[in-house]
Amino acid sequence: MVFWFPAPPQVPVLQINNGPSLSGLVTIATHLVQEAKRPELLGDSAEQRAVVQQWLEYRVTKLDNCPKEEIKTILKDLNQYLEDKVYLAGNNFTLADTLMYYGIHHIMVDLTVQEKEKWANVSRWFDHVQHYPGVRHHLPPVVVSRNRLYTGGHH
Amino acid sequence: MNLFVSEGNPHCVKVLAAVELTGVKCDISHVNHEERVVPYLSRPTLPALALPSGLHLFSPNAICRFLFEASGREASSLANQWLEWEATELQPALAQALHLSALQGKRTEAATALQVPLSVLEQGLRKRATPFLSGEEVSVADIVLWGALYPVLSDSSFMTGELAQVGGWFQRVALLPACQSAVRAVLTGKGAESQLKAYLQKQPAPHAQRREAQPCN
Repeated sequence: MVFWFPAPPQVPVLQINNGPSLSGLVTIATHLVQEAKRPELLGDSAEQRAVVQQWLEYRVTKLDNCPKEEIKTILKDLNQYLEDKVYLAGNNFTLADTLMYYGIHHIMVDLTVQEKEKWANVSRWFDHVQHYPGVRHHLPPVVVSRNRLYTGGHH
Repeated sequence: MNLFVSEGNPHCVKVLAAVELTGVKCDISHVNHEERVVPYLSRPTLPALALPSGLHLFSPNAICRFLFEASGREASSLANQWLEWEATELQPALAQALHLSALQGKRTEAATALQVPLSVLEQGLRKRATPFLSGEEVSVADIVLWGALYPVLSDSSFMTGELAQVGGWFQRVALLPACQSAVRAVLTGKGAESQLKAYLQKQPAPHAQRREAQPCN
């Protein structure tokens, strides 16, 4: 099978037995979820599916290769967004949580205890996801304290 | 549903074309580039779609995908692949090219910045040999890529002989009435160039593209 779509280096490619290959992390992950007959992981309404795709896109466009000085803005925005949500698409765990978890893990590992408290909603979400069955795999768990150690910091 | 757009912004061309093409009902508000519509984002981000649930979509591609799905047209894996490519590969190159051509007048350099993505598009169209990117009918991928490329490809000097397929495809999409009216709504006639400039000046300067090894999960 010829790769009709020339994938740039570092972009994953999935070779499918009876069809053309697919490239791109989001495309492949979405395709595999459909193949696995787990459509709920892509969202259970048109609205939710759009929200899931939006965060998948966010992972590969904003989070990946993000310059150091951008990390704070990303954490701030995510923290605000997650204020009233358990997961990225609301109350249900979706593919967006898995891919954002893998994309943000290296940032969470480096946060100090104070920073984890500052971005409390991100930390809470991250902790939920890393404990979600089957998500964490080989990645080291990140310690997130459930009790506030510092007070008086503003959010 | 309320869709917020600003003039001169190529991403708004995409979403307005998708609204027209799908016929999904939504109110359209024209706002300033600096308007912060999405409450949780630090930077003004347009277009944005306020959904009935109160949630906001801030990714133009997610908005287009939603409108297509709401009208019963779900994106295929092939269309998904083009959407992801547009966001991760084409957009960084386009940001650079538009910056070079519209703000600095460096047209040759701008064409060079787009060489690789345009040849990928050319190859993709040639291999598939269908009128549109993912088949016989126009899909969300065509609207998104056409809208993204509109500021450069509507200027015929960017078109070279090696891009015959791209040229044909671009014309096919551009001739759709939905696309023509979207262009009119965002880039209003003779002021189009200065509107695009005004939009670009509000964007962060594109930094040289870099792709580092990512953990592949």
